[in-house]
Amino acid sequence: MRDKQIEDLKDYKYGFSTDIENFKAPKGLNEDVIKFISNIKKEPKWLLEWRLKAFERLKVLKEPDWQKPKYPKIDYQDLYYYSAPKSFKDKPKSLDELDPKLLETYQKLGIPLNEQKRLNGIAVDAVFDSVSVATTFKETLTKQGIIFCSISEAVQKHPELVKKYLGTVIPLTDHFFATLNSAVFTDGSFVYIPPGVRCPMELSTYFRINASDTGQFERTLIIADKGSYVSYLEGCTAPMRDENQLHAANVELIALDDAEIKYSTVQNWYPGDKDGKGGIYNFVTKRGLCKGKNSKISWTQVETGSAITWKYPSCILKGDNSIGEFYSIAITNNHQKADTGTKMIHLGKNTKSKIISKGISAGFSDMTYRGLVDISPKATNSNNFTQCDSLLMGNKCGAHTVPYIKNKNSDSNIAHEATTSKISEEQLHYCQQRGLNPEEAVGLIVNGFCKEVLQQLPMEFAVEAQKLVGISLEGSVG
Amino acid sequence: MEEQLKIDFEKKLKDFSYSDQEKKFKETNFKEFLKNGFPNRKLENWKFSDLNQIIKNNIGELTFYNDYKKENQIDKIELISELEHNKIIIVDGKIEKIDFKFEDKDKIDVLVEQSEETIKENINSLINLNNAFSNKFCKIIIKKNYSLKKPLIIYHSTNKNTQSKNTNSRIDFKLEENACLRLIDIFKDNSEKNFLNIYYNFELDKSSILKNYKIDKAINNNVKYSYNNVKQEANSISETFILSSGSKFFKNEINCDLQGQHSSAFVNGIFDLDDENHHEIKSNINHLVENTKSYQLVKSVLEKKSKAVYQGKIFVSSEAQKTDGYQLSNAILLSENSEFNAKPELEIYADDVKCSHGSSSGSLDENSIFYLMSRGLNYKEAKKLLINGFLLDVIEKITDEEIKNLIKDLLGVKQ
Amino acid sequence: MLKINNLSAKIENKSILQDFKLEINPGEVHAIMGPNGSGKSTLSNILSGKKGYDVTGEVLFENNDLFSLETEERAHKGIFLAFQYPLEIPGVNTNVFLKTSLNAIKKARGEKELDAIQFLKLVKEKAKELKFDEEKLGRQLNVGFSGGEKKKNEILQMSILNPKLSILDETDSGLDIDALKTVADGVNALRKKNNSFLIITHYQRLLEYIKPDFVHVLMNGKIIKSGGPELALELEKKGYENIN
Ligand SMILES: Nc1ncnc2c1ncn2[C@@H]1O[C@H](COP(=O)(O)OP(=O)(O)OP(=O)(O)O)[C@@H](O)[C@H]1O
Ligand SMILES: [Mg+2]
Repeated sequence: MRDKQIEDLKDYKYGFSTDIENFKAPKGLNEDVIKFISNIKKEPKWLLEWRLKAFERLKVLKEPDWQKPKYPKIDYQDLYYYSAPKSFKDKPKSLDELDPKLLETYQKLGIPLNEQKRLNGIAVDAVFDSVSVATTFKETLTKQGIIFCSISEAVQKHPELVKKYLGTVIPLTDHFFATLNSAVFTDGSFVYIPPGVRCPMELSTYFRINASDTGQFERTLIIADKGSYVSYLEGCTAPMRDENQLHAANVELIALDDAEIKYSTVQNWYPGDKDGKGGIYNFVTKRGLCKGKNSKISWTQVETGSAITWKYPSCILKGDNSIGEFYSIAITNNHQKADTGTKMIHLGKNTKSKIISKGISAGFSDMTYRGLVDISPKATNSNNFTQCDSLLMGNKCGAHTVPYIKNKNSDSNIAHEATTSKISEEQLHYCQQRGLNPEEAVGLIVNGFCKEVLQQLPMEFAVEAQKLVGISLEGSVG
Repeated sequence: MEEQLKIDFEKKLKDFSYSDQEKKFKETNFKEFLKNGFPNRKLENWKFSDLNQIIKNNIGELTFYNDYKKENQIDKIELISELEHNKIIIVDGKIEKIDFKFEDKDKIDVLVEQSEETIKENINSLINLNNAFSNKFCKIIIKKNYSLKKPLIIYHSTNKNTQSKNTNSRIDFKLEENACLRLIDIFKDNSEKNFLNIYYNFELDKSSILKNYKIDKAINNNVKYSYNNVKQEANSISETFILSSGSKFFKNEINCDLQGQHSSAFVNGIFDLDDENHHEIKSNINHLVENTKSYQLVKSVLEKKSKAVYQGKIFVSSEAQKTDGYQLSNAILLSENSEFNAKPELEIYADDVKCSHGSSSGSLDENSIFYLMSRGLNYKEAKKLLINGFLLDVIEKITDEEIKNLIKDLLGVKQ
Repeated sequence: MLKINNLSAKIENKSILQDFKLEINPGEVHAIMGPNGSGKSTLSNILSGKKGYDVTGEVLFENNDLFSLETEERAHKGIFLAFQYPLEIPGVNTNVFLKTSLNAIKKARGEKELDAIQFLKLVKEKAKELKFDEEKLGRQLNVGFSGGEKKKNEILQMSILNPKLSILDETDSGLDIDALKTVADGVNALRKKNNSFLIITHYQRLLEYIKPDFVHVLMNGKIIKSGGPELALELEKKGYENIN
């Protein structure tokens, strides 16, 4: 009975792929492919030029190699940079026109695209391979002046906003993968919250990589204008494939005076099989700019998937009194590798940041927390608190903590604490004495260990994340 | 610089009649150094302290040749009078005097030959530089079960007219089973703008105890680098204490390999910095077998434009179950231009371990100052009292009473 | 119900229990008393399935070989240990823990699991009976509980899980007089239903509220004397040195 259950759970729940005819750009990375993408999206000239500038820069940039997880060389000429379901060549006007197969896919993923399922009040934008397929709840949002659409649509309908903010947090020249994204990004979400508006519902994007040999390069841009608030959720899945797939997204957040952005991610890309074959390379650049005074950006992430995860959602605290937060749970099992953490750059006065990171490694996996806290001479009366805890399960895995701490301001405080340990035998015995099997006991204790972070997630996500935490560790106990 | 290096190296080889093996050893190290040069910020280890730049800014062009045949005057060097001790005096990298007058002669061997088994591992370019240019180095062996009656003080000094010079010294120590050594390094600089490069190797056999206290208190304009390479067998203990204060720049690097069960390493340090001084402590504690322990505590008090860096790493191999590793750094920034950087790092491959680190930095607690002032102290007194209290618990970690008192006096810390 | 034959236990080559024998029948209450370090907690740990002991001998629970069962399987079969030092599990809500535990046991027995509402009703009821402050059930398991609260929490868990054999390892230590009575009430309520108890204690006072059928004296890893409730009184007067 128990074995059967574990078997069921162990299999990657989202590992199906959908048979949909795809319309792809020719393989390879060159100016023509970039022009092709830009053309098919009917982009204005400035954006094409912007992409080409990124491509020029890319030619001289090297792939970074300082991060701990190493990966085999990626042949960038052997990837498709644009893939869209064929039925999208003329984008459907409404959900009814969507390919039923696509709807079915999203249903399998548990993402409510059609009307009946929208009851739970989350507005969803779904990105399938490279294009955004549907955005729900549009009318409700429009009434309040909120713009929530695919970035391609925003380029058409709100070019002034896109032009003003795109690339202002992650510059074109930032680093290899970010620049690659700027050159070839295909779609993603765009959010604009007008001054003083509190977004009445969670906004959510689901990403899914379906086609094989396809890189996914989505770009998300969120702007919270003065005094506004938005909570944004992002979920990711991908089918099981033997080969590795690349996901290099860029996410830019901008919070103006008194605005707040809460960004939550549950990342469950296909991690590869037990022997480390296949899986997603998740090389993502996420950065938020607290541009205005009293602004706040809060990142919450639950990273359980991907063969290699490599991301550092960061906050640039430019506005006085601004606040940056980073809550993270990262779990690696089998042969997964993760190098993740955050950067808190304090520039403004009275800026505060908080980092809570919980890392769990099992099997043959390797996990690194890498973080930077930098308080500049001008950031008077600022402070940071960091707590990094790691749990190890077994002695074939590794857990590493690499914080960089720079305090250049005598009126500012930085406090950093980190621990590494294993689940105590006593706690396990206690739970087992109360009837839980070892897997359940570990799931329970690990969820307890992660609680501070799970609490940050919106309800629907929290429940899903809690289950994920348990599932991700199946098979890792004695 | 390359020109100068080559000329100086040639000159050095000519001066001495090295055996073929010695010559080969020096040449290999020299080539390695030529290849890599002085470390710069591109190297992870030197991210916070770019030595190449620091030498350029504070010294300019360096020369590397030292005439080891010349007798240096040592009677001018001010010795520690509060404490009876054995001594070694090093001037411009040359060992001028070795004096174990308080000890049983047959319990200590001093080998001045270049030893056969030259260390093979390639540690870093500064060790290469040291091996290439240091004089014949000596090896001190403390025999089984022998505890030195008095501490050994090594005085590091420079000649008055030495300038823009790189000096290198190396001493190897072997503590046989159950032996015990208290070693104090004291820096007495008579000159300015030199780069002192010091390299110690320690082999700690079973149950031996090493206590090394490094005291850099006298104000000077030299740039210094010191590397302790400690290999520890079962039940051995190493205690390192660093008082980092007087030099323009000082980087102390400690590498401890805990390769015998129940061995333990303690690294404690104080940065007491003023002006534009820039100091660093970098530790690598490698837990390689079961049941080993390490403890590190570093505190900083930073005035004016000073900068302190603490990079402490705890490594635990997959065999090293039951490791106990702890590390803490606290810094008080007293001026708006001072800076504290830390990289407390954990790299852990075993699950049954207890490892943690903490780091905090910030200003002096105004509430405490206020409290003390409300009890009648003036600001200066209150500040002094709080700083003393802040530093006292590191000093209390010193296990040798005599030396603890000496350091308390040096820092003006009273209980 | 429980039959212990020639049980010997060692930890790190140190012998703790030697040729230990004990039989408990349904509905019986046995008390074990013994000096500090005599092996009482070791016995309860071994019965509950804690790892790390070298054991020989035989323990049967309802004719099942106990040593072939995992810790949680023993719990499923109805063995409950109230720990001498209840563990803290940070981040885990007490209610969530209780529900998970109860449903795991129910599931293993093929009984219907309780939903959130049924569960809350049950907990409320039991908490009230045992005068356990409900607010504490919303807190992290045992984190920040006082010594006595932790012990009461163990008894609350016992009465919710309704075990056949309850082992109480010094549950009375650290309880105030009122709490002692409520704990005894909890035990007595379960006792009515033909459940058995093994009560480890240092004080005869608890045994005034829970009348044991047998009292055993454990010294140096063995039962050196057994008797009725009067033995506890005798012990209290004479001390362990002068017994026998
Ligand atoms: N993990 C262990 N390693 C070594 N010795 C142990 C261990 N656990 C218990 N012991 C020893 O076994 C003996 C019995 O311990 P136990 O906890 O069973 O005593 P007890 O009868 O419950 O005592 P108390 O009345 O103080 O609770 C003691 O001497 C104890 O020190
Ligand atoms: Mg006990």
